[in-house]
Amino acid sequence: MRPADTSLPPMTREDAVGDAFIFDAVRTPRGRGKDSGSLYTVRPVELFATTLRALRDRNGLDTAQVEDVVAGCVTQTGDQGQCLARTAVLEAGYDQGVPGVTVNRFCGSGLEAVNHAAALVAAGYSDLVVAGGVESMSRVPMGSDGGALSDPAFVLGVGSVPQGISADLLATLRGITREDADAFAVESQARCARAQAAGHFDRSLVPVTDLSGLVILDRDEHPRPDTTLETLAKLKPSFEMMGTMFGLDAITRKAWPQVEAIRHIHHAGNSSGIVDGAAAVLIGSADKGRALGLRPRARIRSIAMVGDEPILMLDGPIPASRKALAKAGMEIGDIDRFEVNEAFATVPITFMRTLGVDHARLNVDGGAIALGHPLGATGAMLLGTCLDALEREGLGTGLVTLCIGGGMGIATIIERV
Amino acid sequence: MSETIVGEVVSESAFGRVHFDAAAGVATLVMQMPGRANTIDQTFIEGLGGALDRIQALDGLRGIIVASGHKDFCAGANIDMLYQARDAAAFYAATRTLGALFRRLETGGVPVVAALTGSALGGGYELALACHHRIALDDARVQVGLPEVSLGVIPGGGATQRLPRLVGLQPAMEMILQGQSRRAPKALQAGFVDALAPDAEALFAQARAYIAEHPKAQQPWDQKGFRWKGPRPGTDDARGLFMGAAAMLYKKAAGAVPAPEMALRAIQEGMGLSFDRALEVEARYFTHVAVSDTAKDMIRTLWYHRGAAERHEGLPSVADPAIARVAILGAGMMGAGLAWVAASKGYEVIVKDIAEAALERGRAHCAEQATTRGKHLGAEGQQAILARIAWTLDDAALAGVDLVIEAVVENDEVKAKVTRAVEAVMSPAGIFASNTSAIPITHLAQASVRRDRFIGLHFFSPVEQMPLVEIVMGADTSEDTLARSLAFIRRIGKLPIVVNDGYGFFTSRVFGAYLMESVELVAEGHDPVLIEQAARAAGMAVPPLKVFDEVSLSLGEHAMAQRRKFAKDQGPPPAGLAVLAKLAELGRMGKASGKGFYEYEGRTRHLWPGLRELASGTPARTGLELIRDRLMYAQIAEVGRALEDGVVRQYRDAEVGAIFGIGFAPATGGPLSWMDRRGLPRVVADLRALADTVGTRYTPAPILVRMAERGERFFPAV
Repeated sequence: MRPADTSLPPMTREDAVGDAFIFDAVRTPRGRGKDSGSLYTVRPVELFATTLRALRDRNGLDTAQVEDVVAGCVTQTGDQGQCLARTAVLEAGYDQGVPGVTVNRFCGSGLEAVNHAAALVAAGYSDLVVAGGVESMSRVPMGSDGGALSDPAFVLGVGSVPQGISADLLATLRGITREDADAFAVESQARCARAQAAGHFDRSLVPVTDLSGLVILDRDEHPRPDTTLETLAKLKPSFEMMGTMFGLDAITRKAWPQVEAIRHIHHAGNSSGIVDGAAAVLIGSADKGRALGLRPRARIRSIAMVGDEPILMLDGPIPASRKALAKAGMEIGDIDRFEVNEAFATVPITFMRTLGVDHARLNVDGGAIALGHPLGATGAMLLGTCLDALEREGLGTGLVTLCIGGGMGIATIIERV
Repeated sequence: MSETIVGEVVSESAFGRVHFDAAAGVATLVMQMPGRANTIDQTFIEGLGGALDRIQALDGLRGIIVASGHKDFCAGANIDMLYQARDAAAFYAATRTLGALFRRLETGGVPVVAALTGSALGGGYELALACHHRIALDDARVQVGLPEVSLGVIPGGGATQRLPRLVGLQPAMEMILQGQSRRAPKALQAGFVDALAPDAEALFAQARAYIAEHPKAQQPWDQKGFRWKGPRPGTDDARGLFMGAAAMLYKKAAGAVPAPEMALRAIQEGMGLSFDRALEVEARYFTHVAVSDTAKDMIRTLWYHRGAAERHEGLPSVADPAIARVAILGAGMMGAGLAWVAASKGYEVIVKDIAEAALERGRAHCAEQATTRGKHLGAEGQQAILARIAWTLDDAALAGVDLVIEAVVENDEVKAKVTRAVEAVMSPAGIFASNTSAIPITHLAQASVRRDRFIGLHFFSPVEQMPLVEIVMGADTSEDTLARSLAFIRRIGKLPIVVNDGYGFFTSRVFGAYLMESVELVAEGHDPVLIEQAARAAGMAVPPLKVFDEVSLSLGEHAMAQRRKFAKDQGPPPAGLAVLAKLAELGRMGKASGKGFYEYEGRTRHLWPGLRELASGTPARTGLELIRDRLMYAQIAEVGRALEDGVVRQYRDAEVGAIFGIGFAPATGGPLSWMDRRGLPRVVADLRALADTVGTRYTPAPILVRMAERGERFFPAV
């Protein structure tokens, strides 16, 4: 911290407005999100605390300097109920002066936490904030927190369908075929396998251990590197019955009357995996970094969040990214690496086609189809993956974006320093 | 029992044998490991695995009976194996292997019945829980229970998961967190066993009937639609129960005893998980505590040392102690209590006092014991005991008694007087024992004409409840007197330690250091509330000011006077003595006088606010940790001096004496283990630092310094 100089007038917010820097990013491995998954036995608060401890220990961090911990978590009930961020702060042994807030922007929650922290720092309200997120989908099933999205009042009044129907609607509208999606999925698995073999995740990965220090999980366990077009071809579309027999496809006509029939192309093999995991990112001001001897790894250039048509739901990354680029005064061509969450294969495919992004620059180490999508943590995980890739390849700028339930999108642009 | 088991022996190993009754399709696994008990070790794990392989391959298998060829069903983990376990990974793997075997037993598709012809404790009961049905012999000697926490570990064979699912959260938590056992008849009421049988033959017949009637037995937790008895996972009721249980643990142990906390966590965390993974949660907690220092220290003291003390290992014995009639001098709490204890174990007892009123109170005390502690004996049994106790004001009535236990006031002159009077009439071959808690036996023996038969038997109050006896050898006490005294101690069911003479012996000396340090802390101005809590947090069974009030300040003052007379050292720190004097002046003599360090209002108590005004000032530094270190190191310094003075004859006695006599933190294993765990170099350095800053009473005894320099420990490291 800057030494207080009492001869000067108190610092105003304007004086402090500046950049937010990323000092470090860590994540747990992603465990299969069912009762056979390795992380099923680990309480979500402990999962997130694992990443908080790793941030502290790797950086020799005096935790009393942390002004807030922002955790993304979607299904905030049961083991993930109450304010998980604060309980994790205390379980992790952080200074009790560190508060915590748990945020929910559905699948964008992990990146929302990052943006929230970046905003606090850039605005000068805070100098050092931990952002991150957690989701134990094995213990707290998606949707178990209830909500209004399936209320007849909302479904009929506004319009709402399950995400899988939205994904298939998006594929239908954009002309994306089952073969396109399966090919993308096979490539995601292959890229992930290469990244694992080459140790691309090693810098950010922290093992989850038990009280005796025995390893519970030290590598991502969802990938299926043996995936081929042939193995995927055997899988039945997951949302066809729901869409046709139970009639949910009909609701989409409320917003998309021109779609006569939805082609159901998504299945478990070309959609994101259900997993458990947590991530944490240390974000602060340049001055704070200097005072604590933390070397900034990247600057946050801009953040953006948008709302979009809720039935299509999953096309938010495009307007969100456009907005983030505009805020940063950048063009799509200025971005070296993209991380677009593979909620469904259609989402990154649409992104590439619409914005003219080469697959060679997008999801270079695979994505959630192979690794899984721990809802509240994924955004923070992708940020770390993107930063690791930029450093490894000696590149400058990266964009991270996720589609979000309820028809939202979120994006963050980072730049190495 | 063998006639109750039907079928040819189809396999045999060091673990036991398998019988198969091909006609009925019933396999009986008879565990009969070498030695006198079945315990869970590598032989057990391999043997059970092999037996299951054999059984599950049997043609026409319809059910399994698990039985024992020993008196007890199974005593649980092999303690030697548990004590040596330090490698978490290996221990965890072995635990998972055992867990998988138990799982295999209950998911094998045929009904499995546990035939509890004897007790099933710890892992033994966990094996029974992995069966579909438990039938116990209807005999109070047959017990089931989970005593793991008493040795610093938790159940590791599935009980933290099976028991709550079987009987409900609350009864399961009570048994597991408190390390309880239940006798068969009571166990049935709470569902810890499913049926009772009058004899082994009926038991096995019932087992075969169960198998015939339940061809597809499945554990409740493996059935679809399983419903919890009582609160279900994730409900408000369950949360409330766990919160309450956590609070109860903290209230009891102030965080100083890890095992019950880990057991509670295992129960709560496993409760909402799939059963197989819940077992993994338990195995991880079990491993964590099993390899810990706390488990090693508790097992060493509470299993090995306590067991050795119970068996009188290394102590003399005698074929005929020649003690039939016992005289107790003094009918107070201790005297009357001793009379009840000895009479209830079959001794003829005569109690002598100098006042009829005292005898009356003593009689009333014994009558009350009869209806409370002797409740299970019935009126006739109670009367038989009371009839063995005679009461007298006359020394002559003690003619010919074989053992005299003097429990009169702590005054050497009074004690000398009664010694002379009673020795004149008692059996010439008899033993005279003093129950003094501090006055040197050699000094008291000067009043005796038979100093070889004069000994210290220091019992603890309330004697009906406290297991320890500190036997004190005077300079002239003979080994034969010790041997005869030990025989008496064994018969009345007490746990002996044997120490050499010296003011305060071992226990009172260390206890005095504890109490006086707390008063000294009060005098220096440390917050009394913090003093009490620091003692709890260090694991001490009772906080010092509370217990000082209970033993009374007059006893404390009395002890100080005696100490000045007999102890060689410099005596307690003066500021604390001034506080005691001031309290005495104010009539605050302790609980019996209605006020002391505490104020007493009905059933509640709180520290007297005026205590703070008795302080000489405000300490420069204070806090829970500082106070905790002061309280513990004051005792440790005293233990060092007791070792130096040769009071302690065997290290085990220091450990057993401290824990069972004065409530020294049980999870530490006792003061010597406490020192070993820190390492003597650190102990010596800490003591020297305290000696420099607080007072010379902390100066480490030369023996500690020597041991530290040589890199020695009290007990071998595990």
